[in-house]
Amino acid sequence: MTDVLSLVFRTFVSQTKPQKEPAVRPPSAASSSVLLVGDRGVSSSLLLLAAVTAASEMGIRVAFFTQTQIQSLPETLRRCVPSLRPEGLKKTTFFYPRTLDQLLLHVASLHESPTPPALIVVDRLESFLRDPAGGSNAGLSVGEQSSAAHVSALLCDTASFLTQVLEKRGSGSAPCRIIASYLSEADANKDSEDLSVTDPVLDVLDRYFQVRCTLDRDRGYEAAAAAVQEVWHVYLSGRGIAEASSNKDWEEKHRAAQEWKLLILPDGVIEFNSV
Amino acid sequence: MRSFLPAVAEQLFGDIQQTYHDTSQIPDDLLIALKFVFGSCALLALDLVDQRSVICLSSPSGRQAFQVLGSSGRLYTCFLSCHFCPCPAFSYTVLRRTKGLLCKHILAVYLSQTMALTLQETVSDQQMSVLLSGTGAL
Repeated sequence: MTDVLSLVFRTFVSQTKPQKEPAVRPPSAASSSVLLVGDRGVSSSLLLLAAVTAASEMGIRVAFFTQTQIQSLPETLRRCVPSLRPEGLKKTTFFYPRTLDQLLLHVASLHESPTPPALIVVDRLESFLRDPAGGSNAGLSVGEQSSAAHVSALLCDTASFLTQVLEKRGSGSAPCRIIASYLSEADANKDSEDLSVTDPVLDVLDRYFQVRCTLDRDRGYEAAAAAVQEVWHVYLSGRGIAEASSNKDWEEKHRAAQEWKLLILPDGVIEFNSV
Repeated sequence: MRSFLPAVAEQLFGDIQQTYHDTSQIPDDLLIALKFVFGSCALLALDLVDQRSVICLSSPSGRQAFQVLGSSGRLYTCFLSCHFCPCPAFSYTVLRRTKGLLCKHILAVYLSQTMALTLQETVSDQQMSVLLSGTGAL
């Protein structure tokens, strides 16, 4: 999945600032599951951008799961993707499960499809895990942890199976990648300065997702100085990044770009700068 | 599932597989090592294996999963490539308290595979989807 994110960063890199030569990150099983942690709005935009870019530029099938119906691409994304290929959009299938049980059944059923996806996207995991109608009691941490483990394990196992299917077919789309977004309650209550608060559900998700992509808003003066609406720091971390970096041949040839800046311009266009 | 195991556990399963294949028994030293690595659930897992409680389910699409008949009579569906079990012990001891590597059901799957004592069953693709999602009646 980090190969898809790297493609997104490179494709929408800012043209107004000199960039370091971006790394072409090869797809690998070690980095094929990414958890996006941070603001809901920016995470959802980044997920949509990743899905559209993967379908359009890489030609892979995408299964996108979200509770909120997407009537059309947001204006900001349509402006970001000027060379959108219609056939690429057709490769993206949107699913709208309303509850955790529906999400589980949809993901579990992906093996039945004659044209399996090579990218599975789940937007706003927290909305499925904390929904009382989803079968888990809100506020009961053990139940939420078990539900988080179930959906994460099902995603990983499904991706592992679909990777084998894609490899057998020789489609070139393998491995099957996963990206999901999650906003912890601690991040949602940004006014709290208690850094000791941990999210037990996030601890569980970290067991299954190999890479964490953290979105952290820059609340300094950089946004104003750069005449942009918002500036976000994007960090890639986790054992998937550590394993990829431990490959000496790869490290000698490329510099891993593990930090980026996401800029939201006044007209809503999203750009990336390497750090 | 192997990638989620520490190296010492993988080595132990390799030793058990070799010895069991040759002698149809697990010697005391490997049993002690099993208890040392996995704690109290080691003996309970071996009981489940002895009772032939582990089933490998397959469907026409090629999808697979494991089911373990627990001591309470409940069937638990576990995955092939990563650790998850819907049992209370996994939720509490492994996830919540991070005190254990596995529950007895997941360990029973590993041991059953290692000792080639897993039963095989076929289900339809739709049945497999329901089992994997955990949304069907048990």
